[in-house]
Formats: sequence, structure tokens, C-alpha cells
Amino acid sequence: MFNLFATPDWFNHLDIIFTAVTLLISLLISAYGWKIYKLSSDRRFAYFSFSFLLVSLAFLFKLITLGNVYFAPVREITGEILRPITKSGGETYRNLFYRVGFFLQMASLLGSWLLIYLVSQKSRSRLKKYHELTQIGLFVYLVLLIAIVSTFVVPVFFVTSLVLLSLIVLNYYRNYLNTGKDNAWLVMVAFFLILLGHLAFIFIQYWEVLYFAGMSLMSLGFLLILIVYRMVTRA
Amino acid sequence: MAGRRSRLELVFDILAAIQNKGGKIKPTHLMYKSNLSHKLLSSYMEELLEKEMIIVEEVKTKKSSSKVVHITEKGLGFLAEFRKMREFTDAFGL
Repeated sequence: MFNLFATPDWFNHLDIIFTAVTLLISLLISAYGWKIYKLSSDRRFAYFSFSFLLVSLAFLFKLITLGNVYFAPVREITGEILRPITKSGGETYRNLFYRVGFFLQMASLLGSWLLIYLVSQKSRSRLKKYHELTQIGLFVYLVLLIAIVSTFVVPVFFVTSLVLLSLIVLNYYRNYLNTGKDNAWLVMVAFFLILLGHLAFIFIQYWEVLYFAGMSLMSLGFLLILIVYRMVTRA
Repeated sequence: MAGRRSRLELVFDILAAIQNKGGKIKPTHLMYKSNLSHKLLSSYMEELLEKEMIIVEEVKTKKSSSKVVHITEKGLGFLAEFRKMREFTDAFGL
């Protein structure tokens, strides 16, 4: 079967658990961001909520593609659904499904990193509404372009993610210096772990075990975000 | 210099001023503590009364009568929730 990159056999199936946990944490953060937006009517909270919703979507697409790879019943169902499109059947539909799934995952994740980068900038660095919209339009185009290219050259996606995550970590470092709060420090560390995870993903083709390292680092990052959420919202 | 306070921050400042004074405060003191004009404070107080976050008590003495603003349980709940929200937004640089 078509596969974009190799993963260690012993870790197959287990990555579904990692992905599902990350998906749930992102949804939780997105919901809390939306709650703040409903209370304050401030647009940046809606953007923040949407960015984490995009992270959840990315991991949902990943779960679906992983399910297609690991479980025969899922493969059969998707095969039946896609048969009219692919006609030839067999492996073709699986390849198409995997490519589309991976493309949607990349587009959502890159979009979410970009949005988090935008909202984590201090207000004085932000642009006015018109410029904000044109900037987002340009970003959407670039994200889609990079996602299309990445379905053929996978490291392009991870390198782009790495660049965006570096900018996010820098923003959060600046935020920590401004607020001096432990939670701000933890959020910065969380995104730094996600960044390290993506750094590991770049070299998967050379060393399969880096997929496990990348998934672990990324999950640790999201668990840290969950810890910050719990610390903030506990009674 | 800090920017303009949002509507939510103004509500928080009003309620926090009452809480800091032990849960009740005179309207004049509240005006100074929350750093608002009389007109603006009156409009916010009307809204807070409607939402049952504060109550206004009429205190009568032999010579005159005055008003005292009390914070309600709902108002205290809002303060707690707002503090959590602020912790969250500070942590995420929002």
C-alpha cells in the first residue's frame, strides 16, 4: 500500500491513542477559547478558538487515515465509498484516500499554527481588520500551496511547521518575559516540545524510530497545555 | 501606558472594587475606586442590577439617607470566572 513515510511496526496502532488524546485536548482548549469569546465578544478569542479547532480537525483527519491503514473494515468502507471515483478499485482508492487525508491534515495543522502565531502577537503588532483579512487570505493560499507540495515532498510540511512553531515559541517567550507568569512559561515549553516533535518528524525517512520520538514529544507538549488549562480553571 | 479598558474589564473593576471593600461600598467611593465618570458608572450599575450581580440598599439615618452597593453571589461568581479567564489569556499571550 502507498505510504508517505515509514513508521516503526511496533508503534503502529499505538499512535492512534497518542493522536486521539491530542485531539481531545485541542477540542477542550478550543471550547474554552470559544467560551471566552462569547463572554467578551473579542475577535481574537474566536481566532484562538478556531486555531485549536483546526488542530483537532488535523488530528481527526490523521485518525481517519490511520484507521484506513490499520483496520481492514475501515478500508473496505472507504473503498466502497470511493469506488465510483477511482473506478479501477484495488489499491488506487486507498492511495487517493491516504493522500487526501494527509493533505487535509497538513492544511489544517499549518493553518492552525499560523493562526496561533497571529493571535499570540501583542495587539500593537497586529494589523487593522482589513489588513488582517488580506493577510489571512494570503496565508490561506500559502498554506494550501505548501500542503499540496508536501503531499509529494513530505519534509516540506514538517520544515514549514518547524518555522511557524519557532515563531510561536518566540512569541510565547516574549509573553513570558512580559507577564513573568509560570503558566506563560509552561505554554512556551509546551510549544517548544511540539516544535522538537516536528524536528524529529523531518528525519523519519532516515530513522523510523523518530516517528515515535516525534509523536511522544508532541503529545507531551499537548499534555502540558492540558496541565496549564487545569491549573487555570480549577476552582 | 495601559490601553483602554474593555467593557468586560470595566465590569470586573467595578465588582472587584466592591469586593475589596468587604462586599459593600458607597456609590461615590465606587466611582473613585473604579475610575469612572458618574454617568458611565450609573449605566454600568443599571446593567449589573439587571443581571443581579449587585444590589443597592437604601440606608436611612435620622438626618439623611444614603445608598450602599452590595455584591451578590452571582457577582462574586463572575469575578472568579473572570480571574480564571485572565489567567488563561495571560498564559496564552492573548
